[in-house]
Amino acid sequence: MSKLTTTGLTKAFSGLVAVNNVSFHMDEGEILGIIGPNGAGKTTFIHLVSGILLPTSGSITFKGNDITYAPAHVRSRMGIARTYQLIHPLENLKVIENVMVGAVFSKDKSLKEARKSAEAICAELELGRLERDTAQLSILEIKKMEIARALANEPEVLFLDEVMAGLNSDETKQLIATVQRIARERKLAVGVVEHVMGVIRELTHRVIVLEAGELIAEGTYETVSKNPRVIEAYLGGAA
Amino acid sequence: MKFKTSYLVAAVVAAIMIAFPTFLGAYPLNVARSVMTYMALAITWDMLLRSGQISFGIAGLFGLGSYASILAVLRGGMDPLLSIVFATVFSGAMAYALGFAILRLRAMYFSITTLALMEIFRIVIHNMHDFSGGPEGVVLPTVIFGGNASALYWLCLGGLFITIGASWFFEKSKMHLALTAIRNDETSARSNGVNIFKYLLITFVVTSAMQGMMGAIQVQSYGFTAPDTAFDANFTLLPLAIALLGGIHSTVGPMAGAVLLGVAAEWLKLKIPYGHLIVYGIIIILVILFMPQGIVGMIRRAGRAAGRAGKQTGANHE
Repeated sequence: MSKLTTTGLTKAFSGLVAVNNVSFHMDEGEILGIIGPNGAGKTTFIHLVSGILLPTSGSITFKGNDITYAPAHVRSRMGIARTYQLIHPLENLKVIENVMVGAVFSKDKSLKEARKSAEAICAELELGRLERDTAQLSILEIKKMEIARALANEPEVLFLDEVMAGLNSDETKQLIATVQRIARERKLAVGVVEHVMGVIRELTHRVIVLEAGELIAEGTYETVSKNPRVIEAYLGGAA
Repeated sequence: MKFKTSYLVAAVVAAIMIAFPTFLGAYPLNVARSVMTYMALAITWDMLLRSGQISFGIAGLFGLGSYASILAVLRGGMDPLLSIVFATVFSGAMAYALGFAILRLRAMYFSITTLALMEIFRIVIHNMHDFSGGPEGVVLPTVIFGGNASALYWLCLGGLFITIGASWFFEKSKMHLALTAIRNDETSARSNGVNIFKYLLITFVVTSAMQGMMGAIQVQSYGFTAPDTAFDANFTLLPLAIALLGGIHSTVGPMAGAVLLGVAAEWLKLKIPYGHLIVYGIIIILVILFMPQGIVGMIRRAGRAAGRAGKQTGANHE
C-alpha cells in the first residue's frame, strides 16, 4: 500500500500556478526521485506535502488519513520529515541539541532519551563532536546534521531537498551510500530532489518529472531520461 | 561536579538573600525590593525574548496585576495574600485570552501590539471611576503584614524566587529547545514537530502571570496605586535595559543587570537628583553600542577564548 499519495494537488500564488494537478504516490522502502528544471515546482511540492504551505486544491493522504490541511508539526509527528534546500541550522543550539529537537517534539521523548537516540543517529551518519556550535560545522556536516534531525523524528516518509548540492564528488558518493543504507534499514520511503542526474540514477528506484508545475513523466530513470517531453523540458522548446 | 558547585553557590546566595533583614535596615531593604521587582520583570521579559518575541507590554501586565490585587481586596474583601495569587491567575488568564490574537503576530507587529495593550489597560482603569477609583487611584486601609519591612522583603523575595525558578526550568527543560528553535528558524521548528503557537502561549501566559504577581506584591506593599503609577512606562523600560545590560537569553544575565543598574540607579539618584535618568540613558546606549551581548555574554565569550587559548598552549607544550 502507498504510504503517501496526492490527488490533483494544486498550488497557485495569485495567478502563478506553481504546482498544477499533481497526483503521485510513494511506497514503503522506495526511493523516489523528483526532478525537473528550475522553477518546475519541486520545492513547492515538498512544501505542500510537508505542510509548510497549504494547497489551493487537491488532497494529500498519509497512510490512509487525509492530511491536506494538517499543520506541519502534526505531519512531522505523524511521520513525514524533511530537509531543506537552503540549510536551516538552529544556530543557538549545539549540534546534539539540533538533532534532539526532532526526537523531543515529534516523538515526545524526554531530554535524556532524545539525547541517546540523537547520539545513535549521529554515530550512524558519522557525525562527531556533537557539543560544537553549528557555526563550526562544514557544509557536509551541516547537511548530515539536518538529515540526522529529520531522522530523529523517526519518520516513515523522508524528503531530501537537494542535500547533495554543494558537496564534492567524494562527499556525494558517501552521502548516497548513507541515504541508501538508512532507507533500507528503516524501510523508509524517501523523496529526493536533485539536479545532478548521476545522483538520481544511482539513488532512485523511480522518478517523477515536473515541468511548470505539472507532472509530465514517471518511471525508472532509464525510461524517463529517454522520454522526449522530458528531454524537451530540460533542453528547452527550441531544441 | 561542575553542576554541584553552581547549585552550592546558588544555595549560599539564596541563604544570604533570605538573611538580609537580620542585618539590613528598612531603607536598604526598600531599595532591595525595588531591585528585586525589576529583576523579576527583566527575567520574565527575557523568557519571552528567548522565543524571539520582543514584548513592550510588561508594564501592562504589571499594572493589571496590581489593580486585580488591590481591587480584589477593596471591592471583594479578599485576603491580601490570597489576592496576590488571584492577581497572578488573573494576569495569566488575560494573557491566555489575548494570546490567541497577538501571538499570531511577529517582530514589530507583536511589539507594537503589546505596547498598545498596556495603553488600553491603563485607559480602561482610568475611566472606570466607580470601580477602579479613576485617575486618582485607590488606597488600601492597611498595608500587608502591617508594613513590616522584613516581611515585605521576604514577600518580594518569594516572588523573585518563583520567577527565577520558572526561568531556570525554562533553561533546563525542553522549553529551551522549543523557544530557541522558534527564535532561530520557525520553519525548521515546525517541520520537527514543534507546535509553535503552543510554546509561545505557554511562555506568554507564564511570564504575564509572573508580571502580574510582581505588580500585586508591589501594590500590597505600598498600599495604594493609580493608573500612572501601576502602568508607569518604567516598568517596561527598566527591565529591558536591565536584561540588555546583563545579557539576554539567560537567567543570570538579567540578575546581574538588575543588581548593577539597581545599585547605579540608587547612587545616581542621590548624586544627581534631576539628571539621573539621562545618565541611565547614556549607560544603555553605550551598552547597546559596545556590548550587545551584555555583561554575562562578554564574560562567557572571554571564558571561551581563554579556554581555547589554554588548550592551544597546552597542545604546544605537548
